[in-house]
Amino acid sequence: MGGAWRRHLPAIVSAALAVVVLALPLAVSDRYLLKVFMFVGLNVITVAGLAVLFGLAGQVSLGHAAFVGIGAYACGFLTARAGWPWPAAVVAAVAIAAAGGLALALPTLRLRGHYLGMATLGFSMILGIAFVEAKAITGGNDGLSGIPLPAFGALDLDPATASYLLVWGTAVLVLLLASGIVRGRPGRAMTALHGSEMGAQACGIDPIRVKVTAFTLSAALAGLSGALYALTVGFVSPTSFALETSIILLAMVVLGGTRSLAGPVLAAVLLTLLTYVDAILPGLSKEAVAFLQDWKGDIYGVVIVAVMLFAPAGIAGVARTVRTRLGGSS
Amino acid sequence: MTTEVSTGSAPLLVVEGLHAGYGHVPVLRGVDLHVSAGEIVTLVGANGAGKSTLLKTIVGLVHATRGRVVYDGQDATRTLPERAVRAGLALVPEGRMLFGPLTVEENLRLGAFARRGAPDPEDFERVFVLFPVLRERLGQTASTLSGGEQQMLAIGRALMSRPRLLLLDEPSLGLAPKVIAEIFGTLDRLRTDGLTVLLVEQDVKIALRHADRGYVMRTGAIAHSGSAKDLLADDHVRHIYLGAWDDTSASSNPPQARTGSVTP
Repeated sequence: MGGAWRRHLPAIVSAALAVVVLALPLAVSDRYLLKVFMFVGLNVITVAGLAVLFGLAGQVSLGHAAFVGIGAYACGFLTARAGWPWPAAVVAAVAIAAAGGLALALPTLRLRGHYLGMATLGFSMILGIAFVEAKAITGGNDGLSGIPLPAFGALDLDPATASYLLVWGTAVLVLLLASGIVRGRPGRAMTALHGSEMGAQACGIDPIRVKVTAFTLSAALAGLSGALYALTVGFVSPTSFALETSIILLAMVVLGGTRSLAGPVLAAVLLTLLTYVDAILPGLSKEAVAFLQDWKGDIYGVVIVAVMLFAPAGIAGVARTVRTRLGGSS
Repeated sequence: MTTEVSTGSAPLLVVEGLHAGYGHVPVLRGVDLHVSAGEIVTLVGANGAGKSTLLKTIVGLVHATRGRVVYDGQDATRTLPERAVRAGLALVPEGRMLFGPLTVEENLRLGAFARRGAPDPEDFERVFVLFPVLRERLGQTASTLSGGEQQMLAIGRALMSRPRLLLLDEPSLGLAPKVIAEIFGTLDRLRTDGLTVLLVEQDVKIALRHADRGYVMRTGAIAHSGSAKDLLADDHVRHIYLGAWDDTSASSNPPQARTGSVTP
C-alpha cells in the first residue's frame, strides 16, 4: 500500500521542488538575491554533469572550469562579436565544449585516478593560458564584454527574472536528463565501470564508449552552464575559470556523494550560497560578512575535511544510511 | 540449456593455431583446442603458461594476432567483448572482478546488461537455486561477502547473461578446500542443465575430477590433452606438468625448473 507512494515520492518531491524554484521570482523581489540564486543554478548545471562523470563513472576531472570557460567565451563571442542570435550561440557553445570533452577523453582513455586528474589539470592550464592569450576572441585579461542580454520575444520580463528563469528552466531540464542517465542503462554501465573495468567488460560493457560518453556529456553541460553565464552576466573574464573553480566543482560532487544526483546538487546549492551568505542572511553585520568572504577558502577547506572525516560517502551516503536504518526498523 | 552431450555434433568452440599477446610479448603461440556442447573441459598448466590469456582472447579482450576462434560454427576471432557476451560466451574473470560498492542484486542485474531490458525473475531464481546464500545477501554490498560468496556471485553474474559457454578463470583462487568443493559441485549441476564449461584451474586434481576432458598448456601452446581420467592416471603428465599432488597439498604447482628440462 505504502510501496507505490514510497516509490513515487522522489519524483513528487522533485516536481514540487522544480515548481517552487521556478516560481521563486514571484516571491523574491530582491534582484541581488535572484542573481545569487541564478549563480546557484549555473553551478547546478555543471555539477549535474560532473556527478555523472565523477560520481557515477569514477572519472576524475580537475579541468571542468575550462569547459565552462569554453562555453562562456564561445557564446559570448558569437553573440557580442559575430551577432548570432542567443539560442544559436548557446547550441554552438555546447557543441564546442562537447567537442573539447571528446578531444580530452580520447587521448586519456587509458589514464585512471591521479593520472587522469593530472591530464585534465594540464588541459585546463593550457586553456587558461589560451583564454588570456587569444585576445581576438576572448579579449585577454580585459575580458569579453558587451554580451547582449537574451531577448525573449514578446515576453517582457524584468532582466533579473528573465535570467533567473532561463538558468533554472535549463537546470530543471538538465536534471531531468541527468536523472534519466543515472537511473537508466548508461548510468548502470558507468557504475559498473567505476566498480571494476574488467568486470564491466565481462558483463558486455564497452568501457571506451562509456568513458567517452561521460566525458563528452559532462563537458557539454559545463559548456551550457558557461554559455548561460555569459548571457546572463554579460561579461566573461579568464579568472572565473581557474583551477580553484574546477576544484570547488569537484568538491561539490565529493561532498554530495558518489552514485547520486541529489547529493551533489544539494552540495552545489549549499557551497554556492556560502559565497553569498550576505544575501541569504540579510541581518548579518558587515564585519561578519567580510570575515566570511575573506575566509571563504578556509571555510570550504574545513567543511570538505570534516565531511571526508565524518561522512566519507557524502550527503548521499548519509541519506542511504538513514534510509536503511529506517527501512530496517519498519 | 537445450543442448545435449553428443560426440558426433560439431564442437561449440574451436580454437585453431591461435596466437596472441600483449604488445610485442607473445603469450599464445598456436593454441589448438575444442569444446563440445555439454562438456566440461579444463585447461591446466603452470603460472604464465597463457591460460588466462587464452580465455581473454576467446572473448575478445585480447586481440588474436594469428589463428582462429570459431564459436557455434561462426568465426569469432576478433569479436568485441560485448558481442561475445550477447552471443552466449560468459567469462568469470580471474579475481572475480565484482562491483565492490554495489549490492549483490545490482551485481547480478549488471550481469544481464548485454541482454538489454530488465532481467527476468527466472534468471535470478536460477542463480539462487545454485547459490542460496546469495538470496540472503541480496542487499549487501559485494565487498562485504566472503571469498567463497564472492566467487559464487561472480559465477552468478555471468549466468545472468544466459550463456551457452561459461569460461571460468581460476574459481578456486584463495578459497578454502571446503568452499572449493562446493563451487565445483555447482559445476556438475550446471552441466546437468546443459551448460558448456571451459575451466582454467591451477588446482589440477579437483579440475580433472570434475571435467570430461583436459588440456595441459605449456609456454603458450597445448602440450598434452586427453580425457580427464587418462590425464589423472597418466604418471608422465602428473609428474612433469601437474606436480606430484599426492604427497602434500591438493593445490601444488608444477616445479618450473623441471618442466623446462623434460620433453613430452
